[in-house]
Amino acid sequence: MAGFLVRRVLQGLLVLWLVTTATFLLIHAAPGGPAVLADPKLSAVERQAIEARLGIDQPLATQYLRWHARLLEGDLGRSFLYQTPTLSTVLTRLPNTLALVAASLLLSLVIAVPLGVAVGLAPGGRLDRTVGVINFTSLAIPPFWFGIVAILLVAARWHLLPAGGMVTPGQHDLGDRLAHLALPMAVLALPLSAELIRFLRAAVTGTAAASHVRPAAARGLTRGAVLRRHVLRNTLVPLLTVLGLQIPMLVGGAAVTETVFAWPGMGRLSVEAALGRDYPLVMAIALVVAATVVTANFLLDLAYGWADPRIRSQA
Amino acid sequence: MNPGRHAYHRAAAGIAALALFAFLGPLLYRADPTLVDLAHTTAAMSWAHPLGTDESGRDVLARLMSGGRVSLIVGWSAGLVALVVGTLAGALAASRPRWLAATASRLLDAALAVPAFFVLLVIVTLFGAGTGTLIVAIGATAWMGIGRLVRAETLTLRERDYVAVAVALGESRPRLFLRHVLPHLVPTLTAAATVGVAQAVLTESALSFLGLGVEPPQASWGNMLTGAQQNLGAAPWLALYPGILIVATVLACNALSEAFRRRA
Amino acid sequence: MSRRILLAAALLSLAGCRRSGPPSDTLRLALINDPVMNAPLSPDIGSVLINKVIFPGLMRPSDSITPEPDLATGYRISPDGRRYTFTLRSGVVWHDGKPFTATDVKFTFDRILDPKSGTLQWSDFSVVDSVTIADPLTVDFWLKSPFAPFLTLLGHNAGIIPAHAFTGPIADQVDFNRSHPVGTGPYQVTESVPGSYIVLTANPKYYGAPPRLSRIVFKIVPDVNAQVAQLRAGELDLVTLEPANLRGLADDPDLRIDQVTVPQHYYVGFNQSLPLFKSPLVRRALTLAVNRQAIIDGVMRGYADYPQGTIPVALREYYADGLPTIPYDTTAALALLAQAGWHRGPGAVLTDAGGRPFQFTMLVDKGNPSREQAAVAVQQDFKRIGVTAQIKTMEFASLVRDYVTPRRHEAYLIWWNTPLDPDQFSYYGTGQSNNDVLYSNRTADSLLAVGRATLDPARRRAAYLAFQAVEAEDPPVLLLYYPREVQVRRAQLMGLPALGIRDALRHAEKLYFRAR
Repeated sequence: MAGFLVRRVLQGLLVLWLVTTATFLLIHAAPGGPAVLADPKLSAVERQAIEARLGIDQPLATQYLRWHARLLEGDLGRSFLYQTPTLSTVLTRLPNTLALVAASLLLSLVIAVPLGVAVGLAPGGRLDRTVGVINFTSLAIPPFWFGIVAILLVAARWHLLPAGGMVTPGQHDLGDRLAHLALPMAVLALPLSAELIRFLRAAVTGTAAASHVRPAAARGLTRGAVLRRHVLRNTLVPLLTVLGLQIPMLVGGAAVTETVFAWPGMGRLSVEAALGRDYPLVMAIALVVAATVVTANFLLDLAYGWADPRIRSQA
Repeated sequence: MNPGRHAYHRAAAGIAALALFAFLGPLLYRADPTLVDLAHTTAAMSWAHPLGTDESGRDVLARLMSGGRVSLIVGWSAGLVALVVGTLAGALAASRPRWLAATASRLLDAALAVPAFFVLLVIVTLFGAGTGTLIVAIGATAWMGIGRLVRAETLTLRERDYVAVAVALGESRPRLFLRHVLPHLVPTLTAAATVGVAQAVLTESALSFLGLGVEPPQASWGNMLTGAQQNLGAAPWLALYPGILIVATVLACNALSEAFRRRA
Repeated sequence: MSRRILLAAALLSLAGCRRSGPPSDTLRLALINDPVMNAPLSPDIGSVLINKVIFPGLMRPSDSITPEPDLATGYRISPDGRRYTFTLRSGVVWHDGKPFTATDVKFTFDRILDPKSGTLQWSDFSVVDSVTIADPLTVDFWLKSPFAPFLTLLGHNAGIIPAHAFTGPIADQVDFNRSHPVGTGPYQVTESVPGSYIVLTANPKYYGAPPRLSRIVFKIVPDVNAQVAQLRAGELDLVTLEPANLRGLADDPDLRIDQVTVPQHYYVGFNQSLPLFKSPLVRRALTLAVNRQAIIDGVMRGYADYPQGTIPVALREYYADGLPTIPYDTTAALALLAQAGWHRGPGAVLTDAGGRPFQFTMLVDKGNPSREQAAVAVQQDFKRIGVTAQIKTMEFASLVRDYVTPRRHEAYLIWWNTPLDPDQFSYYGTGQSNNDVLYSNRTADSLLAVGRATLDPARRRAAYLAFQAVEAEDPPVLLLYYPREVQVRRAQLMGLPALGIRDALRHAEKLYFRAR
């Protein structure tokens, strides 16, 4: 087990190094430079002063090495745009994205697990067909559009929920937070639950038809027991895999939802950082996002062990 | 009659119809999609403009066709890029020698751990959204799923008897992959690739929403839908047309993929 | 399914909404990103806006074009125009309770005069040689040469920051700049949540008229459509919008749409170091070939004024009322081009004696629908006289950095947003730092130099009127329009001066909500 942990941690670090190096090369290969230099009113004097202050007058190799040297001290540099330490800027936004993503994940599981199992046990039925149509449609609507229409109707027209933001300024109660969470969470969860239902349906159909389940049913086990003992158990591991693959997609896909709902998360920050050519901020975001995903996958690996003892013994 | 076959035909017909609309439509309907007419903005349907005009007075039908070409080309090409890169990466990750497979596997895992949309944002903001950049960027951030699939399937197939026999007969690895493994992957890959096309069309529209999609004055269904937001009150049809076409494209691609998967 | 939602959305958004209640005491405004709350730094428009509320300056914009004293009670100008002596208000205290003195003024301007501090106002005040303290309530500004826009610039972005709050470089004081700024303004920051909002509460110790609201909240709403949605949903009270975003808002009984003239001019600039654009005849011809009224009506939906020279109508007495407006006249344009040696060849393409076509690349920043539309309209107008303009859209940052600054541009659609002063020496004076079109006209140079150095309003006015007459003969740029700023506010919001939002927020204490 210890060997497994060490190996996973080393692998994770390798992934992070690859990600930051690739990001560094990418942002510096792009034409142009930081947006703070793009003010047409800047004179040459100001331009040089800014370049020196930001450290972008140095050769690339120096900048690359300096970034890693600082990283070892836990310093990810200062944002060009916000003039704040990038790490703390990113870390104040990260929980917001995680909260949104976790809530959507939870909501989609709550929707998808019962529905997916139900349609998987009775493929071709009326429920299956209805769910199938809804699934297909919700996967086909661009999520930003779903968000805009939701805001127009639910917030601007009916005043049922707030149109955007994470809290009402000055208000700190849970109800207010949940009200703000509801729409973006639903928008993010819709395509995800469709994806999960599709997956679960296939998995459950497969397992239910599998050879060891039928004899169990024949032995007279109740339907519920068959479900619990055989079908669900066997669906759990692949379900975790699918979730693992969805996490990076969710973290990224949140950029659009966060923009629509003015949600103060990482996605929006990354758009601003990239648009403003804020090199230190882009690097910090890449590192933190990759670290989040690597950690999530690691936790998922542990969850595999819990879900399937055979994997645990192998590790 | 086999219902799977029926779905397959319907989906294929839908895709063909959309492609005909975008690629052959302009031969029949020759209005200029970029011609601005500031005197007739957001006009309703008329003989001159069968589907009305947009906020700049440009002909909506012509823009739907020209935008459709862009959206479909970006979608299909990006899907193809993802398919090729993913298949290669997956095959490498399941190949020999061991170090090569291990390296490719680690790279594949690393790529899977990166939020693709974030990378896409960075690439597109940095390099601009030319059609070529979009195709490469979307393709380069969508191949990982396919890579994983190919790796897994190849590893499974390798255990089969006929592959073992081929190995014993001394067939070279690449040849082995091409002759014995790839053909078995075709249905799975086609299914994955068609979904990829649908994803690429949606991705382009999401990028357009963030102001990073196909650059105006060139139309795409994505930027038409985004542009229509501002006029939702005065001219809802501007959102309706590109919206329907995007949804139809994605539905058709997903349905086709589903049909392929059933056959697989 | 999607069709039904879309239709429903469209129908429902046609109608407005109404809610009732007591008059609000909180004004909610939108910013597109987290601001830097330190006036000399102010790296973006959001920072500029919030800093106007937090950090008053020595002067502030007034109803007339001349600014009024704010943190100062008055000023004296030496006869040679090179020394300004300000008497500061007594009894002013910072938000943290410490007294405001001449030390703070000197501290602020020492930072502004040092480009290494991270300030973006160095070029505004590069004429200032030094700032000295005569006594705790008297400050002297020593200028290198007489500089007429000086008072206006003091009331523009130059908010005063407290010397006692800084121990190192001002750009490094992250806590001050991001969460706990200390100013002297009518509202002080009491809560700041990154990426989310900033709450300002009425300052009971404010030196001017007591603020009428209890709070001003700046919410971070990056997307303009989200701003519109929040405005409709009653979650924002005042937003400035592009004309294209106004559809449907006019019918909302809860909202009012105001328009104010602002000191901005939008234009197509031609790089005049290129032979193609050297001749004034050619530039005048191109100017005549554009149908501005169509752009103002179609793209700006009427929210713009018809232009003549580079001094916009917002500058009131400095705007030359009597000049004939630029006509839209393709025949006259072609005649001028013929004089300059350009004739229509095969396919109605304009060519010179050597048969070379009149063509160039026109840059426009992407992401802004009105500018993109205007660029396409200009392109089509040019096409009508046989001139080919290839449009290239790119991010604004890239346009400036990769093309305009290194002088790699041919033509571009852009704008200037200036303080409320007619001084345009740095934009259109030969060889000046902001003269990106590389315009050079000796008469214009001397008129602009006179206008900048003359403190007497009448003589100043004469110089600028003459400058505008020169522009009509030798246009530095192709003027498109003077946009009006469109402010959409909750109907009950009162007290907003008829100024652009940047200037209006210098009067934040006057804003209030009337009862419904």
